[in-house]
Amino acid sequence: MIITGERRPPTVPYVDLALQHAQIKDELLEAIARVLDHGRFILGDEVSEFERRFAEFCGVTYAVGVNSGTDALILALKVIGVGEGDEVITTPNAFISCASSIALLGATPVFVDVRDDYNIDPGLIQKAITRRTRAILVVHLTGRPADMDSILYIARSHDIEVIEDCAQGVGAEYRNRRVGAWGAVGCFSLHPLKTLSACGDGGIVTTDDKDVFERLGVLRNIGLRHRDECIRWATNTRLDTMQAACLLVKLRYLNQWTEKRRANAAYYQSRLSGIPQVKVPADRSYERAVYHTFIIQAEDRAGLQAYLSTRGVETAVHYPVPIHLQPVAFPLGYRRGSFPVAESQADHILSLPVFPELDPGQLEYVADCIRDFYQKKGA
Amino acid sequence: MRIPYSYLDRQFADSQMYLEDIRKIVEKGDFTLGAAVSEFERRFAALCDLPYAVGVASGTDALMLALKSRDIGPGDEVITTPNTFVATVGAIAMTGARPVFVDNNEEYTIDVSLIEKSITPRTRAIMPVHLTGTPAHMPDIMEIAERHGLMVVEDAAQAIHASIGGRHVGSWGDAAGFSLHPLKNLNIWGDGGVIVTRSAELYERLRLLRNHGLVNRDEVAIWGYNSRFDSLQAAVANRLMDQVHAITDKRIANAGLFDEAFRELAEFITLPPRPPNVRQVFHTYIIQAQNRDGLLAHLLGRGVEAKVHYPIPLHLQKAAKPLGYRKGDFPVCERHCETILTLPVHQHLEREEIAYIIDCVRDFYLKPVRE
Repeated sequence: MIITGERRPPTVPYVDLALQHAQIKDELLEAIARVLDHGRFILGDEVSEFERRFAEFCGVTYAVGVNSGTDALILALKVIGVGEGDEVITTPNAFISCASSIALLGATPVFVDVRDDYNIDPGLIQKAITRRTRAILVVHLTGRPADMDSILYIARSHDIEVIEDCAQGVGAEYRNRRVGAWGAVGCFSLHPLKTLSACGDGGIVTTDDKDVFERLGVLRNIGLRHRDECIRWATNTRLDTMQAACLLVKLRYLNQWTEKRRANAAYYQSRLSGIPQVKVPADRSYERAVYHTFIIQAEDRAGLQAYLSTRGVETAVHYPVPIHLQPVAFPLGYRRGSFPVAESQADHILSLPVFPELDPGQLEYVADCIRDFYQKKGA
Repeated sequence: MRIPYSYLDRQFADSQMYLEDIRKIVEKGDFTLGAAVSEFERRFAALCDLPYAVGVASGTDALMLALKSRDIGPGDEVITTPNTFVATVGAIAMTGARPVFVDNNEEYTIDVSLIEKSITPRTRAIMPVHLTGTPAHMPDIMEIAERHGLMVVEDAAQAIHASIGGRHVGSWGDAAGFSLHPLKNLNIWGDGGVIVTRSAELYERLRLLRNHGLVNRDEVAIWGYNSRFDSLQAAVANRLMDQVHAITDKRIANAGLFDEAFRELAEFITLPPRPPNVRQVFHTYIIQAQNRDGLLAHLLGRGVEAKVHYPIPLHLQKAAKPLGYRKGDFPVCERHCETILTLPVHQHLEREEIAYIIDCVRDFYLKPVRE
């Protein structure tokens, strides 16, 4: 007998790492066992091998593995000289670490509102530039590239650097060039829920500049140039050899997984675009979005999310509170109304499950549930 | 005979149980602050007789976050010793504070009699280093800190399980940072660290600081870092927690054998004092040797991988240039740099290997013919 009120497990989870690992578990464990055999746990061969392959994947010359995506951002800002008293322009609708990486260096995050694609609105950047602006930290949110041509033009005209936050954008392309290859430095997260993920925290920084590359190598390894020579005080933020070994396995599947995400997104786009209460993201001819998240904007978002939940569909909101309205940002002096687009999106966005292992039945079910919700509401 | 410094191959020759634990985590995907991390924190706190432990990404982060938990930053000064690993000072400098050096004593820990002279109105904290696994003179340090209202963060990276009068290192100061790096006494398969404290307030701050300042999934209270201890590494650490007592005992026994043998070579070798009522855990076994470079070459030639921790004191590193120190500022530390030598002392050394190392040292000084 079924007890009323008991919740069934979700029919469609938002994400299911166990499914991904079911396919490649043996390969991962073999890779880990090989690291144990050689015992070079700190900056072992797998780290340089992964760095080489990842640089190649992004179409850049160099990559430096670090402990997390947040540390990738901190090191990137540091390597271009951002510090106390500087300002860095970024967007308020991203994950907190794009602002915290700036603030932790003693610099001030300066927010600029976004466009309909959730990325920075280049038309608003100019107004935010002051004498203290050192860089623009561009976020490729949801895995869709920001408008790099416009951003780079503005940056060059004002002689400021561009850093890319590619945490959600691995493999995304803008005019046939991958993200991470546009700015002075590209920063990636390899967190377990990212499209390319380690079995723990990890991050990686990309660049074409040899000098930047060499300084990053020192900055991630407590300032050591050689075993005994410390050329500047620095932290310890190395990508674990074990994680690099796992990443080398997963990198082989990345294109396949990304194509699956894109196909899932395309299905949603075709099924949901006829629902007037739902706004779906659109692909543009000159880009390849990788759909780390598939975010719709929905009328009565709370109602839809609750309804989907009762039907066993797990969804998420990325992110319900824009950074400028977080308690931590209070001293920055923003208020509700400062960024109307980002704020309006925060009230309507809903992330649908889009992970590669979803089967066609699940996708269809999610789309049906959304259609049902608005049909019932309309009735 | 060949005696390498690293012993990882021996330690993990039988890797089955570790890999089995890792397999379970990989299957579940419980990678971020998972059950293995909480278990490790609970057990590590208990080992130190403290209520709280927070697992982080490295020993360096442990020290840096401990200082940040009391908002130590630009304009502040933190007192430490110049004969430590670069990460001690890296951690201080990463907060924006200025490292201030005080010379060390013959035990390789901070010379307590010199601390007060270095305290200025900007001094916020003292970071004593339990170098080699020898506890610094914590009762005296705490007395000075209390008198001046300073925070004390113990750099216990090398001192897991060390104690003074039965009281664990890590439980003396306001907080302490430990390293779990692959060559530490409690060693994982990558970078990792842990902070301990008895303060509920610092504990809450540290949990925020290591995880983006997130109070819950969506609310950010402070600017925080991402410095989490990986679940995979916590699984390895949990297995090794069962072995901590055995590891410590073996290292202490090995050091005892060296001590006994080297007392007969007192003309050539100076041992640091062995303070009573203190448990030194011998992360490193460091002697002061006459003709150190000759002895080092001799040992390496005979297959004994000896090392020097550390050949360049921190105040003379390139990174220290802006601090304005010069040669001669810390005479004890500088003298040690010329004579210190580290011998393998790890828990996997066999009795005959220790005898061999002792013979090699003895031969170098006592055999008439030298190469």
